[in-house]
Amino acid sequence: MEGKMTKTRILMQEFDYHSPTTLEEALSLLDEHGDEAKVMAGGTDLLVQMKQEVIAPKYLINIRNIQDLSMIEHGKDLKVGAVVLLNDALHFIRGDKRFRALSDALESLAEVQVRNMGTLGGNLCNASPAADSAPPLLVYNAKVKLASAGGERTLPLEDFFKDVNRTDLANGEMMIEIILPYPEEGTGGAFMKTKRVGADISKISCAISVRRERDICLSSKIAFGSVAKVPIRIKAAEKALRKEKVTETLLLKIGELIMSEINPISDIRSTAEYRREMAKVLFLDVFDLAWQRAGDNE
Amino acid sequence: MKKKNISITLNTEKREISVLPNELLINVIREELGLTGTKCGCGMGQCGSCTVLIDGAPVLSCLTLALSVDGAEITTIEGLESPDGTLDRLQESFIDNSAIQCGFCTPGMVLMGSDLLTKNPSPTEDEIRAHIKGNICRCTGYYGIVRAIKNAALR
Repeated sequence: MEGKMTKTRILMQEFDYHSPTTLEEALSLLDEHGDEAKVMAGGTDLLVQMKQEVIAPKYLINIRNIQDLSMIEHGKDLKVGAVVLLNDALHFIRGDKRFRALSDALESLAEVQVRNMGTLGGNLCNASPAADSAPPLLVYNAKVKLASAGGERTLPLEDFFKDVNRTDLANGEMMIEIILPYPEEGTGGAFMKTKRVGADISKISCAISVRRERDICLSSKIAFGSVAKVPIRIKAAEKALRKEKVTETLLLKIGELIMSEINPISDIRSTAEYRREMAKVLFLDVFDLAWQRAGDNE
Repeated sequence: MKKKNISITLNTEKREISVLPNELLINVIREELGLTGTKCGCGMGQCGSCTVLIDGAPVLSCLTLALSVDGAEITTIEGLESPDGTLDRLQESFIDNSAIQCGFCTPGMVLMGSDLLTKNPSPTEDEIRAHIKGNICRCTGYYGIVRAIKNAALR
């Protein structure tokens, strides 16, 4: 966790607290208070940032009690309310062959306690480049629905992340839903991350979703976390794999290509050099697993 | 900021308390309610020593605003033993398996072990380690803790 260390035993900041039970109430509060307000779901990122004095909202709007935002259901797409707890999302999709990259990622996200507090919406809106739910949601072509007092809009997740801890959310706007279209037949997905200890934020993470026909890669989506200011898809690598016969030579070449496409930094968790080297290794491991799973799903 | 009244059920006892918006659950538990079994380690959600159960689910009390638990059932480590003082099987197992040195991580570890066994009556070592990965121990090297949880399952 970056930011200067101050007191963490108590929360020094003063603010007004609201706990709306309907979306309308929440949006009205957001509209009234604009950038002086912060939406709070689990609080696992927000309260840490407040303790470190990185942010100082005057109003906290707890959205955990808005029932409409806590639904997760199958339909034309898989729809996940923004306030669905990470553990509830994990239990819902565990074993679902269509979303293995996401269940892998949720399993590796922090620890049980944080997953009983944190939400998928919160993980995305906090917009850490290391957000574990982001690479799988990117490879599954997820869309996010945002709402404000003025209306709603839906956009692809890859247009949502703008910079470190910055999203496309305008003043008065909040995320209400994450939409996952179902992958096509013959698709397999996987996610892995490297980290220091079990519950750590990633040094580097990778999600792949690949569509397979025997030994041909029909198409793939490849996303990385912690290698740029935002979670990113490596489209050059996806293009190089399209409709190709999968061989070890090709995969090694793609690994090298990925190394040249990313822009990692050195920080408290790892170095740019290590991240760059691991990008290739992680790609090979994740692709291998996603490829196997695609074969099982053909 | 104004104080607001909330009602909680703490270890099966109904309590009414008055808290400010920026009061954290961990401090309300330790100071206003006098239960110091729950510890504040890092205060940022990384060590797990502040673990409590809210409506049966383990969460981190150092990152929970007291106001947000209005109406909830809270279980701290003190709530694990029976009213007559009989220790829970996990508590017995921790003692019998040398799983306690300084004791600081112990309440969090015991609560996580208890949570795991309610969901998975005979966990493997890997499953135990995955379930406690949010709880840091600086003394024991985890071996005794994992063994204690594994053996508690057999009691």
